[in-house]
Amino acid sequence: MRTICVYFLLLSVCVRLSPLNAQEDLTAEQIVDRSFKATKLSGSEALSTMTIIDSKGRERVRKIASVTKLYDNGETEKRLIRFLSPADVKGTGLLTFDYEKKDDDMWLFMPALRKTRRIVSSEKAKNFMGSEFSYADMTPPTLEDFTYTLQGEEEVEGTLCWTIEVVPVDDDVADENGFSRRIIFVAKEDFVIRRAIYYDLDGELHKELSVMEIKELDTENNRYRPMHMKMVNKQNDRQSILKVDDIQFNPEVKDDYFTTRYLERY
Amino acid sequence: MDKLADGIVRFRWIIIIFFAAITLVFASQLPRAEIESDMKAMLPSDMASRVKTDLIDEIFGGTEMMMVIIRTDDVLKPETLTRTKNLSKRIKRIKGVDKVLSLFEMKSIKGEDGAMVVNPAVKRIPKTADQRKMLRQEIIENDLVYGSVVSKDFTLTAVIALLKTDVSDNFLIGEIQRAITEYPGEEDAILGGLPYVRFQVSKHIQKDLRRLLPLGLFIMFIFLFICFRQLRGVILPFAVVLMSIIFSMGLIPLLGWKIHIITIVLPVMLIAIANDYGIHLIARYQEYNIEGNTYSKQELAMNIFKSLSQPVLLTGLTTMAGMLCLLGHIIVAARQLSILAAAGIVYALAASLFFITAWISIIPKAKPVIRSNPNPRRRPILERMLGRFGRIISKRPKIVIGAALISALAISVGIFFVIIDTDPNKYYPKDHPVPYASGLINEHLGGAQNISVVFEGDIKDPRIMKKIDQLEKELGKFPEVGNTTSVARVVRQMSRALNDEWEEGYDKIPDTRNAVAQYFELYSMSGDPEDFEKLVDFPYENAMITARLNTASTKKLNTVIGEINERVENDRDVRLVGGFGYILSEMAHKIVSGQFLSLSLAILVVGILLMILFRSVAAGLISAIPLALSMMVLFGLMGFFRIELNIATAMLSSIMIGVGVDYTIHFLWRYREERANGQAPPEAVQKTLVTTGRGIVFNALSVIVGFIALLSSSFMPVRFFGFLVIVAIFSCLVGALILIPSLCIVIKPKFLEPRQEAF
Repeated sequence: MRTICVYFLLLSVCVRLSPLNAQEDLTAEQIVDRSFKATKLSGSEALSTMTIIDSKGRERVRKIASVTKLYDNGETEKRLIRFLSPADVKGTGLLTFDYEKKDDDMWLFMPALRKTRRIVSSEKAKNFMGSEFSYADMTPPTLEDFTYTLQGEEEVEGTLCWTIEVVPVDDDVADENGFSRRIIFVAKEDFVIRRAIYYDLDGELHKELSVMEIKELDTENNRYRPMHMKMVNKQNDRQSILKVDDIQFNPEVKDDYFTTRYLERY
Repeated sequence: MDKLADGIVRFRWIIIIFFAAITLVFASQLPRAEIESDMKAMLPSDMASRVKTDLIDEIFGGTEMMMVIIRTDDVLKPETLTRTKNLSKRIKRIKGVDKVLSLFEMKSIKGEDGAMVVNPAVKRIPKTADQRKMLRQEIIENDLVYGSVVSKDFTLTAVIALLKTDVSDNFLIGEIQRAITEYPGEEDAILGGLPYVRFQVSKHIQKDLRRLLPLGLFIMFIFLFICFRQLRGVILPFAVVLMSIIFSMGLIPLLGWKIHIITIVLPVMLIAIANDYGIHLIARYQEYNIEGNTYSKQELAMNIFKSLSQPVLLTGLTTMAGMLCLLGHIIVAARQLSILAAAGIVYALAASLFFITAWISIIPKAKPVIRSNPNPRRRPILERMLGRFGRIISKRPKIVIGAALISALAISVGIFFVIIDTDPNKYYPKDHPVPYASGLINEHLGGAQNISVVFEGDIKDPRIMKKIDQLEKELGKFPEVGNTTSVARVVRQMSRALNDEWEEGYDKIPDTRNAVAQYFELYSMSGDPEDFEKLVDFPYENAMITARLNTASTKKLNTVIGEINERVENDRDVRLVGGFGYILSEMAHKIVSGQFLSLSLAILVVGILLMILFRSVAAGLISAIPLALSMMVLFGLMGFFRIELNIATAMLSSIMIGVGVDYTIHFLWRYREERANGQAPPEAVQKTLVTTGRGIVFNALSVIVGFIALLSSSFMPVRFFGFLVIVAIFSCLVGALILIPSLCIVIKPKFLEPRQEAF
């Protein structure tokens, strides 16, 4: 139950492990593992813009503010998202406690109604905020759910990457994640994914993710986040751009933010 | 005329080779003919309802769907649910399927203990009786699925595939059928939806073409042999029929057209009509070639040509004119049919006059079939019957006229019971899978047809949103409306999930624009943005209410559309009303007005043609009488037999006028000759009846026999069409052989009297 957290998972995908020297001997699985198992940012505050563009080129723009913080030795991540624009949804907030071992807790605040509602869902949101970014696409999956094949090396926008094919182990996993195959390009220098190509359940090209402007946020632990991501759906010509306008690494985010009381304080 | 006859005999080989070559060229086009099974393609692209429906498709994406209906005693049985789940998953993976709606794909969104709870409609397959009972209750309370994906009695559940716009019907249905066999079970799995209807239509068009054509030709072959008892009497008209069928069918790909349901009628129609001219030639041949005649074969050919070229040309012309009156028909396929049939008739006409005459001048004279001066008692039964008619008519012409008028009037009472119906399910007999599936969908799963109302403006504005909600609720109360969807319904659903029952906002459209916007935002977070696309467009400028109708009956569609239009007519927020249900309704209107137009036009054109050719106004009027009477009989019988006026039967009248007037023309032509030869009217009638009358009867019988093949068509409208043609031709025949002769005796029209020179 991690409905609305795509955005954050999206970011956490792109975190790298400690920079080690013995890169040459890594297997595909190890590379993905290190890319996926990267420690999350212990806390952050960000302002972002999500632009959704339909096939006719019409745009829908959302500005959001968000804060995250890790609890329970990194097993729980608490997040607060607040819409800043457009005006008609300004102030709408979503508070999520993402537990590693149980269903998430989630509360929604709607300023127009002046009320907070807890949301219980067994559904995985397929598309985040109606965008082309989807939860299943981006989440760091259970490692054993997929097989990994190192296909070679390729440069993406001047950065040397490993190209790795990710294939679900069975149909159930494929159904759940919505792809039959995914090619990821993991940068050798920082383990951040730079590009990903998705093939649908029929093996047809479906979506393509481009990751730009990697920023190192936690220099002590060498943790990064991309500032600009674009997902293009090749089948319906829609695309979505997620741009981080400002981000601060802050392990000392106030605990008070992650309460329904704060959610309603708008 | 003499010169032309001379020329035919002189250049006989060139003529034969010319016709053979043309026919071969057109035959080579036949393999290129394609089948069109989409009903929408039969309609003109500028028809209002079609334009509007296309616009809806453009704004909201393709709206087509394909359904698998699973039927058993209780669909909540674990094995049935498991099968439904598997099918739902499997169908979702078929290429070209955009989205699947089923118990496992649709959601349950509700308020519970102060929380908004989002689940699949069936979260877990129940194992115990208690769990099953609970699930049943949950589904009853879930208005997203109850009555649309599950029938209210739980005997049916549907897996609905929403389709992308570019899927081939054959591929899709093949894949779905494969999915059903991959997950077998004891439940019935029934296919439904427009793509399935098209698939069946296309299949049956091919089947019909393969069956009707050989059957029609076979019947015709036998018929010609019985009539003429002579090989040339069979082969020559038969060759003309084949050539004209090849010519007109070959024209279809050449003109860039496709074969529609209605086009099936074309080859059969040509089998029936294209031999008419040949039949008259052969009949005249046998009449001249009696025992003891001294004509050479060339003289025979020239004499036949000279005596028949004018009436044959005239009858061909009127038939063509009748056909071409279909050009005013609303159905595009009917317009095309009129041109194809007219072209086929021109070709048959030319081939009969030139090709048959050329052959007659080549092949050795046959043994006479009609014996001269035989004992009247030993004459063939037909001639004896015609002789008897002649005697009755000459004695009591007024009584005959009166009887004919009274019976036609009596039958015409049925006109008041004629029903107009454009329901595509009526293409098939009631027990066929297509109407069966539609019946299930109509009765239990919300309805198979739809009508949509599109609103334009700031959709997030509560004023418009409340209007949408209000109209949707009103539509839902119509007995013909099975199920409705709209963006307002989604907003209300969210309001139920976000508020507790006792709270003010529960089950309501909120009062502020911001609140509506925030509901939308919430929906787009928890749902699939694409299921929203069918309800409101991307910039929130257009929103659509879709009412699914549990009927395709034209009468009921008209009622619903009338009511909707009345409500939205002066509403500036309503942009348009459209949908397939609307198309069917408009089509019905156009069929009636088109019917009236083409019928009057056909009678008028044929009447004028006769006036010109006989140089007399009376000629036009007299020949119109049997036509008008047989139309009264035709529509009267349609009313009594409950045969609907639909896309096929609506073409009848103009075709019938063009074909039916032929018998009158042949009769009048010969009668005038007999009068010119000095016979008194009663004797002239008797002489005409036993001579030309024979050709007329053969001609009419050949048309009737030709259309008999249509009775075995897969499509009900085509079968009825066949039946009605037979009835109409028969009444035209009776008109020409009984009514017209009586009128000739009673009125003694001037244009038939000897003093007036024949031209």
